[in-house]
Amino acid sequence: MPLGGVIFITVFVSIFGCLCLYLGRTFGGKKPQDNVKLSAYECGIPSQEKKETRVSVKFYLTAILFILFDIEIIFMYPWATSFKDLTAAGLGAYALIAMMIFIAIFIFGLFWEIKSKALEWD
Amino acid sequence: MTADSFLFWMLAAVTLCSGLAVVVISNPIYSALCLAMSMVGVSALFATLGAYFIAGVQMIVYAGAVLVLFVMVLMLFDLKTELVTFSRGKISGLLKIATVGVLAGFLAGAFSMTIEFAEKTGAATTVPTPDTSKALGTLLFTKYILGFETLGILLLVIAIGVVGLARSKGGTHAKH
Amino acid sequence: MGSDAFEITINCIKLILVFLLMVQAVPVLVWLERRGSGFIQNRFGPNRVGPLGLMQLLADAVKFLTKEEFSPKAATKLLFYAAPVFALIPGTLGFAAIPMGSPLHWGNYVFPIQGYDVGVGIVFILGVSSLGAYTILMAGWGSGNKYALMGALRASAQTISYELALGLSIVGIIMMYGSFNLSEMIHAQQGTMVFHAFGNTISTSWLPNWGIFYQPLAAIIFFSAAFAESNRLPFDLAEGEAELVAGFHTEYGGFKMLLFFIGEYGHMMVASGLMVTFFFGGYNIPWTTTEQVYQWALGLMDSSDGASALTSLVHFLSYMIKLGFFLWIFIWVRWTLPRFRYDQLMDLGWKTMLPWALANTIVSAIVIFAVSYSW
Repeated sequence: MPLGGVIFITVFVSIFGCLCLYLGRTFGGKKPQDNVKLSAYECGIPSQEKKETRVSVKFYLTAILFILFDIEIIFMYPWATSFKDLTAAGLGAYALIAMMIFIAIFIFGLFWEIKSKALEWD
Repeated sequence: MTADSFLFWMLAAVTLCSGLAVVVISNPIYSALCLAMSMVGVSALFATLGAYFIAGVQMIVYAGAVLVLFVMVLMLFDLKTELVTFSRGKISGLLKIATVGVLAGFLAGAFSMTIEFAEKTGAATTVPTPDTSKALGTLLFTKYILGFETLGILLLVIAIGVVGLARSKGGTHAKH
Repeated sequence: MGSDAFEITINCIKLILVFLLMVQAVPVLVWLERRGSGFIQNRFGPNRVGPLGLMQLLADAVKFLTKEEFSPKAATKLLFYAAPVFALIPGTLGFAAIPMGSPLHWGNYVFPIQGYDVGVGIVFILGVSSLGAYTILMAGWGSGNKYALMGALRASAQTISYELALGLSIVGIIMMYGSFNLSEMIHAQQGTMVFHAFGNTISTSWLPNWGIFYQPLAAIIFFSAAFAESNRLPFDLAEGEAELVAGFHTEYGGFKMLLFFIGEYGHMMVASGLMVTFFFGGYNIPWTTTEQVYQWALGLMDSSDGASALTSLVHFLSYMIKLGFFLWIFIWVRWTLPRFRYDQLMDLGWKTMLPWALANTIVSAIVIFAVSYSW
């Protein structure tokens, strides 16, 4: 079972990463700190406002639409693996039509999003 | 203890602990990250059962898509004010105590039932299955075809609804 | 992981070697990137330290190591430090799942020349690399800097958008090979081109049996989406320095920055490895099959163990050459094309690549059905 290997390398990589951080801290040395140095990066002038809190709703919209389309794509995967087997078993036409209906719904959704300008960035 | 059962208990512990952390930690960002961790744990548990495809889907859809959205949304709020609103005050304190009580009850019940069940049937034997994804595909397109197509329509309805909501005027945050 | 202590030990060592290979490739790629950019843009690049500037790698490492380590006051310490460590994980896990050579038969043992053989290879790699978005978000929010946050937001929105086109473009490939398993895909691409259509078998002797000849559109979409996934030019909007300083790693420096570098190059290596595996015959030498190479090796070595080891080695080298070629294309494109604007980027992902990937899926399905249906 490969799961043991996956867990092993994850732990190993994490330890490696922490070690790197530790090395950087040891060899980097410590120089005097002051408020200006510790402030968030700006382009030479004092920061005018806090962290940006108002962000375009487009980002959320993109993320939600991504989830929906991602689920539809994931459903094509088991179909894709078994499509040749189904064709060999004589169920090919059936599987093809079933998937085409699904894809048609997908395409309708996608083109509706494009038409309704939900994916428009300005 | 065999290697398989060790793996199971370890993963179960990771999943449960991060699940618990979701409700216990008061900072929403850490909560969401812990939820992602718990999803990864569930995915690994699927893998121990030999359901590799489902494990991968769990990872792609839940850990890789749904929770990314959660984290993304949470990172854009002003968390300081939200924290004060939701985690201080008498009512929320009482609610917390009540929730912990109910949870503890459920957990105790679940544990005792699991142990009883395990004693009755003996240790579960896991049969390693070579590749379940083909069988899944075949079943999806023969037996469960109606549910599959309905799901397509459901997703379409959600997509339209989301866009409708995002474009609607009004609500508490509307610009006047 | 293995049945006895010897096999488990070897598998663990193998995993560490794969990881070290990935880490060691980074300085070489950085050097190649700088020399390559100099070559492409008609300037020198690093040429002072050592022959061909090769010692520059060492100088860079020392510089990274001795940079002062500090975190800004506004940073959330835990996330700020966790993000670079976490950045290593998706690339490593994905790269370890790609086969790098034919399996080594040694006595009674069979060692696959890859980190681990996951049955559902491609689903696993997609799942793991989708976790990369957390790194970006953790770094961006943890830095407590508005440029970092904006960069992280853009980068994650971009990665998830292109993940759709990426995931959809390989449906045709999965359909063609009928499997998620990368080793099976490579096995199907051996030798010269042979395909079965309408009950006949058509074969040519001058073309290798590579996936790109069956799925050219999928190859183009996959590779361009892979650029966007690994945040490379022309899609590196997250780091548009004119507007966002350096994107989500604005506040990072020293070894923390280096870990992000390794993560980014890891993504590139996974993308190149998958490109080779899906479309260019994996570790196979063009026009030959694994069996032919094994027979050739058997002629040179006197034991079957030795022949198997030689076969694996030859295939490993073949894989490395192909991998290196695609890594070079990543660098080549970076120094040739200008950056997109954000709306163009999103338009390309959602309105161009996604519909084309869908069209590719539909056409592949119909062709595969028509060709294998017994009329």
